[in-house]
Amino acid sequence: MDGDILVVEDLWKFYGREAVLRDVNFSVRRNETKVIIGPSGSGKSTLLRCINLLVKPDRGRIILDGDIVTEKKRDIHNIRSQIGFVFQHFNLFNHLTAIDNVLLGLTKVKRLPREEALRKAKEALLSVGITEDLWRKYPAQLSGGQQQRVAIARAIAMDPKIILFDEPTSALDPELIWEVLNVMEKLSRGGMTMIVVTHELGFAMKVAHEVIFMDGGTIIEKGPPDQILMHPKNERVRRFMERMIYLYSLNNQFKV
Amino acid sequence: MLWNIAYILYNYGHAIALGLGYTILITLTSYFIGLLLGISIALLRVYGDRASKALFTIFVELIRGTPMMVQLFFVYYALSEIGILLDPITASIIAIAINSAVYQSEYIRSAIGSIPYSQYESALSLGLTKLKTIWLVILPQAIRIAIPALVNEAIYLFKYSSIAYFVTAPELMYIGKLIGSRTFLYIEIYLILAFIYITASIILTELARIIEKKYFIPGLIKSRI
Amino acid sequence: MDWETNPQFFTYINLIFSSIGTTLILSITSFGLATIVALILSFIEVFSSRPFSKLVEWYGRILRGIPLILALFIFYYGLPRIGFPLPPIYSAIMGIAIVDSAYQEQLFRGAIEAVGEKQLEAAYAIGLTRWGVFRYVVFPQAFRIALPGWINEFSIVLKDSSIAYAIGVVEMFTQAIHIAQVIADYLKPLLIISIIYLGICYPLSYISNRFHRKLMEMGMVGG
Repeated sequence: MDGDILVVEDLWKFYGREAVLRDVNFSVRRNETKVIIGPSGSGKSTLLRCINLLVKPDRGRIILDGDIVTEKKRDIHNIRSQIGFVFQHFNLFNHLTAIDNVLLGLTKVKRLPREEALRKAKEALLSVGITEDLWRKYPAQLSGGQQQRVAIARAIAMDPKIILFDEPTSALDPELIWEVLNVMEKLSRGGMTMIVVTHELGFAMKVAHEVIFMDGGTIIEKGPPDQILMHPKNERVRRFMERMIYLYSLNNQFKV
Repeated sequence: MLWNIAYILYNYGHAIALGLGYTILITLTSYFIGLLLGISIALLRVYGDRASKALFTIFVELIRGTPMMVQLFFVYYALSEIGILLDPITASIIAIAINSAVYQSEYIRSAIGSIPYSQYESALSLGLTKLKTIWLVILPQAIRIAIPALVNEAIYLFKYSSIAYFVTAPELMYIGKLIGSRTFLYIEIYLILAFIYITASIILTELARIIEKKYFIPGLIKSRI
Repeated sequence: MDWETNPQFFTYINLIFSSIGTTLILSITSFGLATIVALILSFIEVFSSRPFSKLVEWYGRILRGIPLILALFIFYYGLPRIGFPLPPIYSAIMGIAIVDSAYQEQLFRGAIEAVGEKQLEAAYAIGLTRWGVFRYVVFPQAFRIALPGWINEFSIVLKDSSIAYAIGVVEMFTQAIHIAQVIADYLKPLLIISIIYLGICYPLSYISNRFHRKLMEMGMVGG
């Protein structure tokens, strides 16, 4: 498929005897936003980490825009620089300021000259709403929402082909979740290809082009958000959704 | 007694200054050699192959489990038996540097260990190689975390440089003994030396505090969760 | 290294083994004294009024500021001067004890402070006196927190006992050097005593590490 930025084929991962990922197959088209939902421990995080080879799959292939990722040995670093990754716990470099965090990849991986790197870094930071007064702050001096947005800027600045989000708002205080989701929505509408693992069903409904439901390491059902979230075909998915809707129906009362 | 002290200072002040100079020389040289070696040993013990890890672990435990005196006499006397002759100052520096390197490597190693795995993940995700990750992300944080211990080590070395006395290196304690044997005013000279050491210690401790403040990055220690 | 053609060497090994006793007596006595003094001082520093705290603070600064050899010499030359011409081992014990007491005081003070203000608040709230708080709440916890460092400190004292060579105390290191000077071979005696020092210090460090890990598991120490 030409329009596919990412293809995941027959992916399996074992931890000991247990299969954490089981025959996972899907592809992501250019500009598409895919959201992966499902109960904890369903292998979603592992799946993401297999895509940029932080974790080595035991079976299967991953193809990024024509490059067979799983067969890369020495130039895996090049591949990784084309895949953005946003972690649940932000994972900013604690010894660097916000702007230095964004600069690191640009200067040391992409080897851009200082002025150009600085320009891209500032652009990325501003696009996620991190203003200049925060650029020289250290991660510990920033709120969770600000840290995560810096992490997103760090990923964006590298001009990746695709960005992977691993439960980006799960570690945030409820009030701060909005600012991060907002940035992600803007990113998606701007045409970025993204895979987002999340529990934020409202976001999935609003922003996703396709939703994948995973449980026990496999894909149970995939389809447009309307289908998966509102009228799932699979029984397991329906049960999961019922419980989540119960949670969210309380919120909907405020929406009117 | 006070008169005696003044007498010593007047007549032997220059000798004491010389001794102080050598003490500082031995301390600084051993410390920085120890620092470089210590970082290397720490990195090899954390990231090296099995053989390196085993080799240096044995080495570290060996040095930690024996007195600095033994190591010093080994370098100065025992090595001469197999043909390596060293002058007192060089021998002292080598022995003290190796000893310090081992302890510094422990501080750095534990600092490296306290850095969460997520920092590696983050760096690798950007496309940094393992080497670059260690150099740009792990080591800078580890050294900052280890600064209090490393700085204390320098102060500690200043005092322990005095064991060079035993191999006749002309540092403070040795000079003190010489002056004492000439004038028989042992207590006086040693009180003078005590004063010098204590003052230096207090100054170094204050310096340490300034250095720690300078390299302090908010949240670097707390974020080790 | 020819062991056979050097029979005197074996006679000398006996000397080394008999000198271990002196090393142990020296180490254990000084360490014990230092511990007692340090316990008292750390209590004073944490629980007393400012002037006394400051005094202890200065005691620490002065004694931690001088090299051990210097302390030994000061006692060695000073004691006869003030009318106590004692054998060198007394100077050694006093010198090591007084210097180590300053380091142990730091260790204990840190451990007490690590117990945390909240514990103290609760203890005072139920009506305990300062001594009661110390005895029933602070000490039991501080003791556990300080244990790994305390064991490590003994290891340090044991190794530092070799410095008593400076004033002629015939402990293990001195004995080894005397032998070395006689048989004109430093390597063998140093090797032998290295093994002995290791034989005591390595197990101690292992035990100390086990305790430290246990403490971390229990959450009493931040690791």
